[in-house]
Amino acid sequence: MYRYDEFDHAFVSARVEQFKDQVERRLSGELTEEQFRPLRLMNGVYLQLHAYMLRVAVPYGTLSSRQMHKLAHIARHYDRGYGHFTTRQNIQYNWPALKDIPAVLDELASVEMHALQTSGNCIRNVTADHFAGAAADEVGDPRPYAEILRQWSSMHPEFSYLPRKFKIAVTGADRDRAAIQVHDIGLHLKKNEAGELGFAVYVGGGQGRTPMVAKKIRDFLPVEDLLTYTTAIVRVYNLSGRRDNKYKARIKILVHETGTEEITRQIEAEWQAIKETDLKLPQQDVDAIDTYFAPPNLVQRPEGWSGLAAARKADHAFSAWVDQNVTPHKNPDYGVVTISLKPIGGIPGDATDAQMDLVADIAEKFSYDEIRVSHEQNLVLPHVAIADLRIVYDLLLTDGLATANAGLITDIISCPGLDYCALATARSIPVAQRISERFGNPERQADIGELKLKISGCINACGHHHVGHIGILGVEKKGEELYQISLGGSGDEICTIGDITGRGFSSEEIVDAIETIVDRYLEIRTDKEETFLATYRRVGAAPFKDALYSEVANAA
Amino acid sequence: MSDIEQPAGELWGREGFREDPYVTAETLEEAGDAPAVILPLVAWLGLTEEIRNASNRKIGVLVAPGESIEPLLPLLDSIPVIALQFPAFNDGRSYSKAELIKNQHHFKGELRAVGDVLIDQVAYMLRTGFDTMKVNHAVTLNRLAGHNLHDVPGYYQPGRGSHTVSGTYSWRRVPGA
Ligand code: HEM
Ligand code: SF4
Repeated sequence: MYRYDEFDHAFVSARVEQFKDQVERRLSGELTEEQFRPLRLMNGVYLQLHAYMLRVAVPYGTLSSRQMHKLAHIARHYDRGYGHFTTRQNIQYNWPALKDIPAVLDELASVEMHALQTSGNCIRNVTADHFAGAAADEVGDPRPYAEILRQWSSMHPEFSYLPRKFKIAVTGADRDRAAIQVHDIGLHLKKNEAGELGFAVYVGGGQGRTPMVAKKIRDFLPVEDLLTYTTAIVRVYNLSGRRDNKYKARIKILVHETGTEEITRQIEAEWQAIKETDLKLPQQDVDAIDTYFAPPNLVQRPEGWSGLAAARKADHAFSAWVDQNVTPHKNPDYGVVTISLKPIGGIPGDATDAQMDLVADIAEKFSYDEIRVSHEQNLVLPHVAIADLRIVYDLLLTDGLATANAGLITDIISCPGLDYCALATARSIPVAQRISERFGNPERQADIGELKLKISGCINACGHHHVGHIGILGVEKKGEELYQISLGGSGDEICTIGDITGRGFSSEEIVDAIETIVDRYLEIRTDKEETFLATYRRVGAAPFKDALYSEVANAA
Repeated sequence: MSDIEQPAGELWGREGFREDPYVTAETLEEAGDAPAVILPLVAWLGLTEEIRNASNRKIGVLVAPGESIEPLLPLLDSIPVIALQFPAFNDGRSYSKAELIKNQHHFKGELRAVGDVLIDQVAYMLRTGFDTMKVNHAVTLNRLAGHNLHDVPGYYQPGRGSHTVSGTYSWRRVPGA
């Protein structure tokens, strides 16, 4: 993985020193909260319902054991013993004291981490496929490009005061695990006929109150043009994106209002003017960054498979976990392990300091020192030998980290909602917990199969509900929390925004309503191979609406 | 807070504060016989070529964030100063305009930032191509007077006032001419 050089260290420490000075001025009263606001936001410090919140960047979701230990240490010493992994592959601390934040930033800097550009109208932390560098289906590792973009976008003088925040996601496989089509820019690393690497470029996707699927504006952009082309896109956006209404300020609205053809023309024209400038990437620089992400030297472990079969036979729970949480690796002796942060009835994405330490220890011994944070709010051990699966499972089991539900209905994405968030209109965590409990039975979940359920506590859609196979949006109506359901959303390579079913459900009704939908799916699927999404795409909303608005109404 | 050593409204550049030779006016008439004037874009575009190029008077142009710089581009050689407005610190359009004017279209005159500028933005402005700023933000003035630019030791992008460093990536720069 990428390691800071002196340049990076000097940069990050300078930023920490500046922020120390700013915090001192705030604490002494020299700065008002209003004056302090833009300064703290630049350092990832939000003011939430009950306290300040610190959002720490995990670039493209990649962590070493040492970094994870540090995150655990911060949770233990500066917070209440836990942290919250988010859909942006970051970690949030909900209870740090303002006076401690500079010390936390110092701690982070000591392991080459920071909280820069995790908020504000700038280019945010670049996200990538959480299986990058390990997945069997990968064309190329997207992280070197995400790292180049991370560097180039750091304190960008031209692009730090954009109309609105700007999110870039990169994937390196045809199977899109990074939801690139709901990002401001989505980059799909691929090869052309000549076998050269480049990107399909998508622009103008997003969620929030106006969800939109991105438009493909270029089928193949050579790697050397990555920064010039991105500059052209962001420049056109910075000059023309709307600033009169913050709800219309994202690039998706500009693309929508200008039209894909015209915006593409403007971007291409700007690109022609800057294509041959200093930002054109020399191959040697790409190669130099690439070497940081060279795959670890995986030891041959062919003995794994025979042992695995026996271990699976002996322990049904272990077998279910392997089925659900282990994904094929490039190297057949290895697997990619998803560590579910969705224990039945738990808070999606939360991890205690002890759990973080445990994961760090396991990664050090059994995953070549690498950990990933997924946008589905889980952790990933990218390089685990098949021969070590049993021991890794046993270790995870000691602290509630072996829930076999990756991709199942209880693997819920949920935003913090009214329990923490100042913008929330409804609670989301408690709804996630109740749904998780209702469907917690392992056989039942496995029978239902792949089903992505996503919950947001307000229209900002931090919980990705628009792209949930089942999405739940909490709104407030006449002082009561009401939950709207949408169906058929998907954030992968066939990206769709879910359709709203109709009137919302009360907090009491919502779990029954979800069960009604799931039961109807089980009735009408052709067979177990037909997933919920496939069924929905075949039959449409009608059968589900029928079930929802007749049965629940009758039952109520 | 220490006292501001310079009066507000002075013009600041890399060399420090100096007198602003320009007056800002809505029209040429309003400016009387001032030898250096800055006019709003529409008024400036309304001038005849003869007046713009008159040797006894410098006439610069003030551009609001929502106004396009397109009509100025063919005329850059005849403009002594372009002042880009920052009515609110978070309106960043003028940074891109600075980049276009200075780096893509090679404007040789003075590029000026006017308005609500936070101290953290000054370094950004210098790097995108601004030469001077006329700032109304008290904290910013105070810090500028103390030569505290809030800058970082290295940049991850090419830009004005910086140079390449050997042995590292092509996009990186360090401060200095
Ligand atoms: C608790 C404090 C938070 C605040 C104040 C907040 C605020 C917002 C706002 C205002 C938007 C809408 C942006 C727009 O439509 O232009 C948004 C979108 C989003 N946020 Fe958050 N958020 C918070 C927490 C989170 C968390 C915990 C996550 C990850 C789990 C997250 C991830 C996202 C994502 C993925 C989007 C939608 C994608 C998009 O930008 O279009 N946010 N957030
Ligand atoms: S979706 Fe709304 S409630 Fe949930 S975290 Fe985002 S802003 Fe807060």
